[in-house]
Parts: sequence; structure tokens; C-alpha cells
Amino acid sequence: MTTPLLPIALPAQVRRAAARLVSADRPAFAVVVVISCAAAAAGLVAPWLVGQIINGVQAGNGVREIDRLGLLLVAAAAGQFVIGYGARYLGYRFGERTSARLREQLVDRMMRLPARTVERAGAGDLTSRATTDAGLVAFVLREAAPEVLFALIQAVIIITAVLLLSPPLGALGLIALLAIPLSLRWYLHRARPAYLAESAANAEVADVLATTAAGARTIEVLGLQQRRRAASANAVAAARSAMLQTLRLRTVLFPTIDISSAVAVGAVFCVGGLLYLDQAISLGTVVAATLYLRQLSTPIDTILIWVETLQSSLASFARIEGLACQAGDLTTTTTTTAPLDHSIVITDVYYAYEDIDVLNGVSLEVQAGERLAVVGPSGAGKTTLARLIAGIDRPRAGSVTVGGIEMADLPPEQLREHVILVTQEHHIFADPLRDNLTIAASHATDHQLLCALRDVGADWIDELPDSLDTDLGTHPLSGAQAQHIALARVILADPHTLVLDEATSLLDPTAARHTERALAATVKGRTVIAVAHRLHTARHADRIAMMDAGRITELGAHHELTAAGGAYAALWKAWTGIPSKRQR
Amino acid sequence: MASFVDTEHTKAPSRGPWTFLTWLVLQQRRRVALGAGLGSAWMMGLVVPPYLLSRAVDGLAAGHRDAVIWWSVALVLTGAALAGLGIWRHRTMTQVRMDAAFRTVSAVTDQALRLGATLSRRTRTGEVVAIGIGDVWTIGRSLTVTGPGVGAALAYLVIAVLLLQVSVLLAVVVLAGVPFLALILGPALGRLQNVGASYRSQQGVLTGRIVDIIGGLAVLNGLGGKEIYAGRFRRESQELQRQGYQVGRVTSVIQAAGLGLPTLFLAVVVWLAARLAAEGTITVGQLVAVYGYAAVLVVPVSSFIESAVDISRALVAGRRVTDFLALQRDDDMGTASLPSDGDLIDTVSGVCAPAGKLTVIATARQSDAAALVDRLGGLRPGATWNGQPVNEVHPTVLRQHVLVADNDAALFAGTLAEVVSARGDVDESAVLQALHRAAADDLVHALPAGLASRVDSGGRNLSGGQRQRIRLARASLAGPRVLLAVDPTSAVDAATEATIARRLVRDRRGATTVITSTSAVMLAEADQVHLVGGDRLIASGTHASLMRDEPAYAALVFRGEAPDARVVDGGGPS
Repeated sequence: MTTPLLPIALPAQVRRAAARLVSADRPAFAVVVVISCAAAAAGLVAPWLVGQIINGVQAGNGVREIDRLGLLLVAAAAGQFVIGYGARYLGYRFGERTSARLREQLVDRMMRLPARTVERAGAGDLTSRATTDAGLVAFVLREAAPEVLFALIQAVIIITAVLLLSPPLGALGLIALLAIPLSLRWYLHRARPAYLAESAANAEVADVLATTAAGARTIEVLGLQQRRRAASANAVAAARSAMLQTLRLRTVLFPTIDISSAVAVGAVFCVGGLLYLDQAISLGTVVAATLYLRQLSTPIDTILIWVETLQSSLASFARIEGLACQAGDLTTTTTTTAPLDHSIVITDVYYAYEDIDVLNGVSLEVQAGERLAVVGPSGAGKTTLARLIAGIDRPRAGSVTVGGIEMADLPPEQLREHVILVTQEHHIFADPLRDNLTIAASHATDHQLLCALRDVGADWIDELPDSLDTDLGTHPLSGAQAQHIALARVILADPHTLVLDEATSLLDPTAARHTERALAATVKGRTVIAVAHRLHTARHADRIAMMDAGRITELGAHHELTAAGGAYAALWKAWTGIPSKRQR
Repeated sequence: MASFVDTEHTKAPSRGPWTFLTWLVLQQRRRVALGAGLGSAWMMGLVVPPYLLSRAVDGLAAGHRDAVIWWSVALVLTGAALAGLGIWRHRTMTQVRMDAAFRTVSAVTDQALRLGATLSRRTRTGEVVAIGIGDVWTIGRSLTVTGPGVGAALAYLVIAVLLLQVSVLLAVVVLAGVPFLALILGPALGRLQNVGASYRSQQGVLTGRIVDIIGGLAVLNGLGGKEIYAGRFRRESQELQRQGYQVGRVTSVIQAAGLGLPTLFLAVVVWLAARLAAEGTITVGQLVAVYGYAAVLVVPVSSFIESAVDISRALVAGRRVTDFLALQRDDDMGTASLPSDGDLIDTVSGVCAPAGKLTVIATARQSDAAALVDRLGGLRPGATWNGQPVNEVHPTVLRQHVLVADNDAALFAGTLAEVVSARGDVDESAVLQALHRAAADDLVHALPAGLASRVDSGGRNLSGGQRQRIRLARASLAGPRVLLAVDPTSAVDAATEATIARRLVRDRRGATTVITSTSAVMLAEADQVHLVGGDRLIASGTHASLMRDEPAYAALVFRGEAPDARVVDGGGPS
């Protein structure tokens, strides 16, 4: 399990967010409450009528009188049905609307998350929040929330009815039921962490299963069957014990509530019975009050059925709202001043991951139109430098500027007019080809889109069934084709500077050759800073920066550096495949 | 084929969802029996309070002061006993559900392991992911029917008997009326499923959209287009909301009916009973009892309905599980024994990898290299080892001696040491040596806890180059007789590549090794180089001889811009 790098909202934040959701739809919510009250009240008519019937039978009233009450009983049931439908339907609509609002808000927040946060947290955590958690919250809003709300109203109305029927019996019932809110408090206090642990453990089971399926080939090749079976067994054991923990909590809660209800019914009947024998109240009142209290078990059960779902959805809700905490971080200083020119200046830059400096005072100037290659061993800080130049990260100390303006201060829509980072990772949206391109240039004409595709050598578009309208969700592309699209997007975005990070390394040579051609079209007329680990890219650059341990150790053109006989020269010799003398 | 990984005592059936669900019940028949017993006792116990109450009301009407107290005590004690039964039942049923869910996980895991390399050719990984996230719990939930479901049927019978003692007329009305209600409500629930289907599919589309957006966040961050995607999502979300309203309408009717029709029915029954009481046929207490019994009957009836929904969902989920369990490997698992050392020959292309030598294969297309290595490694037919078709060797034995290492190879979560050790026990010094051979020593220092640092599944917390070196270290530590590696240095820089090449050669000296690569660094170290195009062997030789004699080779290795001959010949400018 990965450590959650995205925050989880605190209880107070969760409460505020929930209140906001309700108040966003206040009139509808009020109507739901009123109608639910009416429906619950209609449900109370029956026991009262039963009490009346008993009084009538005792008084020896005739069948006609009984029929009148019986008819009323049936009418009350029918009324309850109709109003109950209305309450549910309106509640359902409220839940549906709120869950739509929530998921739209979620996507908006996702969009506002800082790029760095998304990368560090990994897509997994974000995806599970946006799908599993959001799904559960939506389900609860639609199905559980209206029912629980209805049950709460029902409970209040029933208790009020007993109080009206006989204040002493009502008070007695309330006292006897006091254990219920107390035990619920005890339970809810412990339930949050327990259900969080349970859902995390279950997610781990699902994750182990998914990675086992995805890595089935590797498992066979390396003979890891026993290992994976053990990993699965461990995940299952952890999930089992997490579930047993929540079960333990329920083992305390459920009987407490059931017994309190029984005590309330018994006490009210006992005291009411004695009062009846003392002729203080009628037999009908005793029976009605007792039946009401028994009826209270319906809303209590409903609440209990949902309380754990409600609890885990609250945990999910906290995870979703956690994104709001992170999206709020976006209040970085942005500037409104436009850069003066296209030159990029890096001055004494430091950058640290987890307190370890990976860049130790790098300074560099890149002139407009220059081609600079950055080479060096793994861990030298090449990628970090690339990310700073592309304005994705902000240096710990020192500055990276374009035309005199701090790169990381530029708002995203301005930044991308200046510099774009091109990496190996490219995502193709499950949308028409056109939409996949217009993200980079929303007003581009079809002609411009096709030109950009031609420029990168994407001749395969002629073979697509619907040209630009082809849905790439149902018509998946190959890796090389995806790369073409990624590069065509860059052409459409048209920045003056490109930062290329290992863009061609994982492609096979044939595809790489095509890509290099596409890349050549893309970089034409732009400043290029290329992190290269295949030296043929470096060789043709105007200047090459050799990096090691977070510093630039050599800087110059290919022929200068090879002549200098330093680290680059050694690298070049190694790359051209000259075995060292001692092996001969 | 089962012998190879199947160590389970009983294999999960794959014939169909019903068989599968039955199997899940039979695997824990004692617990299920306990659950059924407790469920029945609890549900029947629900009848006791109304019965006690009716007797108490009769006692009260007769004016017995003592009786009031004793009946009240009895009511409380019964309530306590029911609470105990209820929680015992809940505990048992929770464990029944857990057992079913986890047993399904384990059956699916075993099947994934059994399918091995053929899994991705037979199904989409997404199917298995869906099983793990949702289906196992849907299936577990459906087993609730074995407890409360059985109890519901028995409770119905008990109430029937009690009612018969009160009045035959009332008994007939109740006993006929409840099933009638169930019949009315049953089809309505079916309709709920249908209405929900299009809603759920739209929900799936929307979830897919979110996942798509998350995958493309880096693109949207870098290039723009967020407004477009946010807008599109909002439109689709509104469409889902509209469909949700429709589902809500039907659901509300059904839910209101689920509660309202029994209430209506109850009113009619009470009316009837009241007339009987007024006529003096039954007592007031019996009138209260009838009300109580009929009210209690709502519990088993709604329990039936819930179970029906659960099972209909579990059948869909179970179908997905059994479809997966029914998959067969698309190759015949071999039984032949391991050949003694000899040359590996790919009969398709004619490539020969001599025993004990380092062979490097250069191909223009990586897919050609991957297919060739799959054949040599026996993952697909077409290669022989000392004359024995490789894919016919018993896989357990074969995999101990022949290792295929490719760049798509999965990395599973664990500590760095565990990941590199793969199936073997963790031996820290051996792990460190293996990491050294893969030029990955820096990783140990870069990670916060060294060898004990956590590697996320898929190596998500590592860079591409780090992942590749860990894969290489893992393959190297396994120390197979035959190592087949696909482009093992594609994601590392030139300096690191040179280090890896040097150390790999030293480590594999005397062992059969096949590497595919187009890097001059790697090719220069080879005892023998093959140039392969498609399925055809184009030329063989050493790096130097091919550079000299094969322009196509030079073009491939130096991407059409070979450094001048002096450099290749070793007389560089330095």
C-alpha cells in the first residue's frame, strides 16, 4: 500500500463541506423534510386507531363503529403509501443532484491540483478517490441519505406522539432510550478509523489481485506463484482482521440498542399498565404508547443498517474533500507581467527531494533558438533540471527565468506559450482525434490540425475510418502513433521553447527513427533543451551540458568536449562501442 | 495442467454462477448451517414479543396487577435474548460473507497464476480488476440468503400456526396475502434492475471519463484543455443526473410499495380482526397479537425481497468470475524433461544461441525481438534446446533454468530486497551484488531505507531507468542457466549502459545468455551478433565484422549516421 500523499480532510472540514452541500440546495431539502414529516405522521395513525378500536371493543361498540375506524385505518395506510412515495422521490432527486454536484466539484478540484502533487501521489490514490470513494458517496447520497433522514424524522415524530399521548409515559420511554445515543456516540467515535482501515485493507486485496493478473506473465517467468499466493493471503488476512475489528464494534452497539428498545417497551407497558389499573389513563392509551415504542424500532433499524455505510462513506467523503485542501495549495504567487524576450536564464539553482539536494547550484543561459543537450549518468539531476526549466517545479534556491520573469510564477496558460515539457509519457484521451488535438489549441481549424499531423509524419490518419472524428476510445493507437499525437499537440501549442526528456528512448529503432523525424519537425524554429541519454541527439546540439551529482561539469560543443578528453569524451567512446584496451 | 500451480484442495467450479455460489456455501457448510439456525431462531423469536404483549394486554384488561409486572419483565428478557441471537447471527453471517468473498479472491488468484503468460491473451486485466473491487463483495453479500433467508421461511410458518390458533379466517387471509404481496413486488424489483442498467452503464462511462482525465492530467497541465474536459464532464454528469431522476421515480414507487403494501394489508387484517373482536369471537389480546404478528411478517417478506435482489446481482458478478475461471491456457503445458546443456535454436528464424556464450540480437523492430525471445524461452512454440522443443519442457522445471526478462515485466510491491530476490529468500549481500551488476548501487543510497525501502507495485515510486535496473538485478540474481533479456538497457544512459554491459558479461561468463539490443555498447561485448529482420536471420558475425560488412547493420546501430570507420575500428580521435 502506498502512503497517502494526498491529504484527508479533518472532521471539522468534512462537517463544513457537508453543510455547504445541503445549503446549496436548501429549498429542495426543506421540502423533503416537510414531506417526510407528513409521511411519518401518517404512519402513526395506525397504532392510535388500534388503541381506539380496543377502547371501542371494550366499550362494546357495534360493528358499524368498528368499520368506521377500520376504514380510517386503511385510508391512513394508503395515505402513508402516497406521501411516502413523494418523500422518497424528492429525497432521491436531492441525493442525485448533490452527488452530481459533488463529482463535478471533484473533477474541478482534480484539474486544479498542482502537477507535482498528482505525480508524487500517483494516479492510483487519485483514481480510487475519484471512482471508489466518489461512487460510495454518490450511492449513500442517493440511497442511504434519504432513508436515514426519513428514519430520523420518523423517530422524532414517534417520540413526540408518545409524549402527546401521555407525557409521563413519553418521558419514561425517552429515559429508557438514552442508552442508544450514548452507545452510538461510543461507536461512531471508534468507527471512523476502523472503517478507514477496513476499506484500505480491502483496497489492498483488490490491488494485489489486480497486479497479480496484470503481472501473470512475469509471475510465470520468474516462478513467483507461491510468492503471489502468499501476498494475496497476507492481504486477505489483513482485510479479515480489519473487518473483524469493525464487527467487534458492532457487537457492542447492536445489542445495546436492541436491549434499550426492549427495556423502553417493557417499562412503558409496566408503568402504563399500573396507571391504567389506577384508572389514570385508558387501556387504549397504554396499548398505543407501547405499540408506538415498538414502532420506533423501524427507524432505529434503518439508521443501524446504514450507519456503517454512512460511516465509511463519511471516510470516503473525507478523502474526496482532502483534494480541496490540496487544491487550495495552488495559491502560489503568479505574475501578470509578460516576459521580455525568449531567453532562459538559470542562476545558481538548488532543488531538493525529501531534504536531499539533487541540484547543487546550477547556472546556465540558453539563448533563443539554441539547441542544448543535457547528458550525464542517472541521478545526475537532468530530469529535475528539465522540470525546473519547464516551470513545473520551483527551485529551493536560485532562479529560473524566461525573459526576466520567474518561470514558476507564470500562470499555466501563459507558461505553455513559452515552454512545454515533452516526456515519454503521453496520454491519449478516449475521445475523437480532433478533441485530442484541440486541447493544445482550442481555436485551431481542421486544416491546422491536419497540417500539424502531417508535419510529424502521421500519415496513418488517412487510414482512420472517420479522419479527425475517429473516436480513439474505440480505435486505440500504437505507441508510435500516440507519440505522433503528443508531438502534434506541441506544434499546435506552439511554444518558443521545448524541453525534451528522454523522448525517444523506449521506442524501437525503426519507430525511433520516425519519431526523430517527427521531433525534427516539432523542434524547428524553437529553442530546444534536450535531456539525452542516447548520444546521437547530443552530438548535433549547439552545446552539450554534462551533468554529474547535481552540477554542470562540462559545457561546450561536441567537438570541443571530445577534444577536451573529459567525462563526455569517455562517454562518447563508450557509446560508439570501442571495447576498452584491457579486455582485448 | 492443474498440477503445475494448483495446490488447493478443492478447485472452484467454473460451470456457472449457480454452481459457484453453491460451492461457496458448501465450502463453509457448518458456518452456513449455524447462520441458518441463528437466522431462523432470531426471525421466529420476533414473534414472541407480540405474543407476550397480547397476553399482557389480556392480563391488564382482566385487572391483574402482578401479571402486568411479570409480563413486562418477560418482554424485557425476551428483547435481551433476541438481541443476543441477533448479534450472534450478524457475526456468523458477516463471517460467511467474508469467507465467500475471500475464497473468491483466492480462486481468482489461483486461476490468474494458472493462466500465467497466457492470461493477457485470453482476457482483459480489467475484468479481474472489476472482480477484485466489486464482484467479490456482491457475491459475499448474496450469501446472506442462507441465514436470514432460511429464517424468513420458517418465521412465516410459525406465524401461520399462531394465527390458525386465533382464527382460521384471519390465518387464510394472512397466509395467502403475504405471498400475493411478494408476487406483486417481485416483478417490480426486476423492473428496477432494468431501469438501473442504463443508469449504471452511464455511471461506468462517467467513471471511465474520470480515470481518463486523471491519466491525462499531466497533458492537460502541460498543454491546456482543462476547461474543455471539465465542461464535457459536467455535461455527461448532468445527463447521468437526468437518468438518475428516472431511476429514482421507479425506485421510490417500489420502495414505497415495499413498505406501503404490507402496511395496507396490515390495516385490512386488523380491521377484520377488530370485527371479530367486536363480535366476541376473539379477545382484545388476540386482536393485539394479530396486529403484532402481521407487522412482524413484514420482516421475513422484505428479507425475501432483499435476498432476491442480492442474488440477481450475485449471478451477474458470479458469471464474470466463472467466465474467468473457465479460461484455459492457450498452449499445451509441456511434460518433457529438461535437456542437458546445448545450443538454443530458433527454428523460425534460424538464430542459434550457442551454449555458454553471449549472443546479442539486433532487430529494427522491438516486437521482432520480443517474439524471438518468447520462442527461445518456450513461451511460444518454435525453438529447440539441444534438439528438444523448449515449449514442451515441463514449465516448473523450465522456469527454474530459463529466464525471460523483458521491459514489461511486472514489479510487485515489497521492499527493494524482496523485489530483487523474487522467489528466492532474501540474502542481503547477494541482493547488493545483483544490484551492483545492474549498476543500481546508487538506488540503495538514494532510497530512504536502503534495501528495506518500499517499492510500490509497478515500481510507481521509481523512475523508468531505476525500474529497468531493478528488473535486471532481479534476473541476474536468479542466475538461470539461460538468460534471455529484451533490450535490458533501453532506459539507462550511455555511461550506465557501459557499466552494465561490462558487469553482465563478467557475471554470465560461461552461461548461455541472449540479449536483444541495438546499442553498440552491448553489441561490442557479444561473442556472437545476429542481425534479424522480421522472422528472418539477415546476417551473423561479431560487432566489428558486421560493422564492416553489413551497411544495414551499421545503419541500424548508428541510426544511419555511423561514426567514421576509424572510431569503430578502435582508432578514435583521442
